[in-house]
Amino acid sequence: MFDAPGPRARRRVFWASVVSAAVLLALVALGLRQFAANGQLDADRWRPYLTWPVWRYLLGGLWSTVVAAFATGVLAMAGGLLLALRPNRFTRAYAEVMRTVPVLLLVYVMLFVLPSFGVNLPLFWKLVVPLALSHAASYAVIFRAGVESVDPGQREAGLSLGMTDGSVTRFVVLPQAVRHMTPLLVTQAVSLLKDTSLGYVVSYAELLFNGRVLANYNGLLIQTFLVVAFIYLVVNLALSRLAHRLEAARARAAR
Amino acid sequence: MGRLFVAAVLLFVAGCSGGENAVPGGGGKLDALLAKAPAYTGQVVPGSAVDRIKKRGKLLIGGSQDAPLLSQLDPVSGELTGFDAYLGKLLAHHLLGKPETELLSATSETREPLLANGTVDVIIQTYTITPARRERVAFAGPYYRSGQSIAVRKGTSGITGPADLAGRTVIAGANTPAIAAIKQAAPTARIVEFGSDPECLTALKQGRGEAYVQDQAILVADAAKDGELQLVGEPFTEDLYGIGIKHGDAEFTEVVDDWLREIGKSGLWQEVWRQTIGTVVTGEAPSPPAIAS
Amino acid sequence: MSLVLEGFLNTVALTLLSFAGALLVGLVVAVMRIVPVPLLRGAGAVYVEVWRNIPLLAWLVLFVFGLPEVGVRMPLFWTAFCAIALYEAAFVAEALRSGVSSVATGQGEAARALGLSFGQSLRHVVLPQAGRRVVQPLANVAIALTMATALAGVVGVVDMTRAAQRINLELAQPLLVFTGAGLCYLVMAAGIGFGARVLERRLA
Repeated sequence: MFDAPGPRARRRVFWASVVSAAVLLALVALGLRQFAANGQLDADRWRPYLTWPVWRYLLGGLWSTVVAAFATGVLAMAGGLLLALRPNRFTRAYAEVMRTVPVLLLVYVMLFVLPSFGVNLPLFWKLVVPLALSHAASYAVIFRAGVESVDPGQREAGLSLGMTDGSVTRFVVLPQAVRHMTPLLVTQAVSLLKDTSLGYVVSYAELLFNGRVLANYNGLLIQTFLVVAFIYLVVNLALSRLAHRLEAARARAAR
Repeated sequence: MGRLFVAAVLLFVAGCSGGENAVPGGGGKLDALLAKAPAYTGQVVPGSAVDRIKKRGKLLIGGSQDAPLLSQLDPVSGELTGFDAYLGKLLAHHLLGKPETELLSATSETREPLLANGTVDVIIQTYTITPARRERVAFAGPYYRSGQSIAVRKGTSGITGPADLAGRTVIAGANTPAIAAIKQAAPTARIVEFGSDPECLTALKQGRGEAYVQDQAILVADAAKDGELQLVGEPFTEDLYGIGIKHGDAEFTEVVDDWLREIGKSGLWQEVWRQTIGTVVTGEAPSPPAIAS
Repeated sequence: MSLVLEGFLNTVALTLLSFAGALLVGLVVAVMRIVPVPLLRGAGAVYVEVWRNIPLLAWLVLFVFGLPEVGVRMPLFWTAFCAIALYEAAFVAEALRSGVSSVATGQGEAARALGLSFGQSLRHVVLPQAGRRVVQPLANVAIALTMATALAGVVGVVDMTRAAQRINLELAQPLLVFTGAGLCYLVMAAGIGFGARVLERRLA
């Protein structure tokens, strides 16, 4: 975007850094002052979060979050693959609808509409099924884009070497498609994990729901939800880092 | 860095030991109640609900985790306390000889499905008996008489009864009977819904509405914990709570009914009330509502 | 009937206002992420990572119930607006940034070789080309934002989803009510898609 800075540019960068540091510090100080003025920084309000039972309870919620996200991921990927492999009018319409209808609305349909038709799933599936239905559409888009991103010449080259159609897909197209898709798949995984917080609505005891129960019990609303938010942040960042790490390792191995 | 770590560990340990003492009203109360609990002496028909529960060795209950005095979970100790919670334990003890229960979180919109597909054996969750619900669930009981009440922030003037809610912003729990009750009493009230009682309470205190309509038992419990809250008058509806049972299971409904009659007669019901709701409501324990046979 | 209208108008207003807010904040964050000041680039990156890795519902709960606890009181609608706008701003910033970096590096180098400054090359060379490429990603953010406004219903705002759910309690016509609400979202998304195509053509 820009050349190596010369002396004048360096001076400008220096002053810009000083000014922005001052502004950022002022913002942080303002926030902290507001917290402190309302007693939210008192040690008493944070001490429970140094104890194991509280963390055990929250991490139990995290485990439920991960289980729900995993189940949703498997179902949604299977559905997405199915949709991507059969591009016809119906699957396209399905993807279009699912891309625009809020998951919460699907959850409500699961809670209110289906029971009156005699379909009553356990709580876990009332969260997982709507999420999977919605995310299947996103996966379909990713898979299709991934396969299309591979140069058709690659397939032709494979076929002309005498490989069968299946083995071309398996050994030539898919490995390249997966590499192109990886960043999107990670984004999708993070978005999926975040969406399981709808367990808050169906009272499935995942992380956010457990945060609510805990906050209701100890009355430390801000502290609890900040800790919960922090856990989400750490888990999702770790997820992205891990994916990048794996991708880099795979790229090295492929070379 | 090392010092900081040591400090953190010390705090951790201190917090752990502090947590034990902080647990309110624990097992002692329940043990005293269990000592007086009657045991089931009836027949166990193979394939019946009682048979299923006995084989499993555990009673599955649909209920709340966050209703003070009724059914509240201490996330730290994992202990469930309150009127509904204790009744559940006593029912389990009645059927199994031990208070072995598992609580599944239910909400007002998930209760009927949970019963219908057999995920839980009973629902004990301030479950108001209504004709509409009777078409989809069987009710044992009633086991408690209550009604919708109004709460305001201390010092609020101008709200003395349900008619005064007209034109005001009123907070209510999503999908609770309160919404219909408000609409009937004051059709012009603006209703703001939140998902749980503590959220409604926080919202009231933060000024997101002028009044909060909720079941009296819950409001009384809230007011006992929170000095900022004030109840307005008596309940303006009458609600009878029942124990929800799978629709059509008359046999199990009768087992639970018999048990409710028994603990009502022996004074155990009143004892449970004194241990829970009675800790904040002054006066003698009420008599349990009559159970039609 | 007034409940239907209230829910629909709230959803539309929340969508439009939040998207405007998200564009504004997102633009600032995107600029922070490409200027040659390391501190600002870092702050921009932190903003994006923090906001997009925490569920919107957690933000909404924190804002609605948490802000009054630190002495910030706003009506429910505006609290939800702030949370949604700041959350989606992270996605807007990413869309803008990838739009800018998708312009071939050769273009920027050529501009600098001609002696244009950072600002000039950005304004005359990079941004005009990036403008067209960001329309579609931004439209996707806008559609996601429309869906996201449904979560405001969980924290008390009477949006379309909450209204549908409340009407269903009275009418007991779940299929009709929820299909209707779903169609409203579809129409809004179609509107956004149409607007994006028109804009794309005009920028081309």
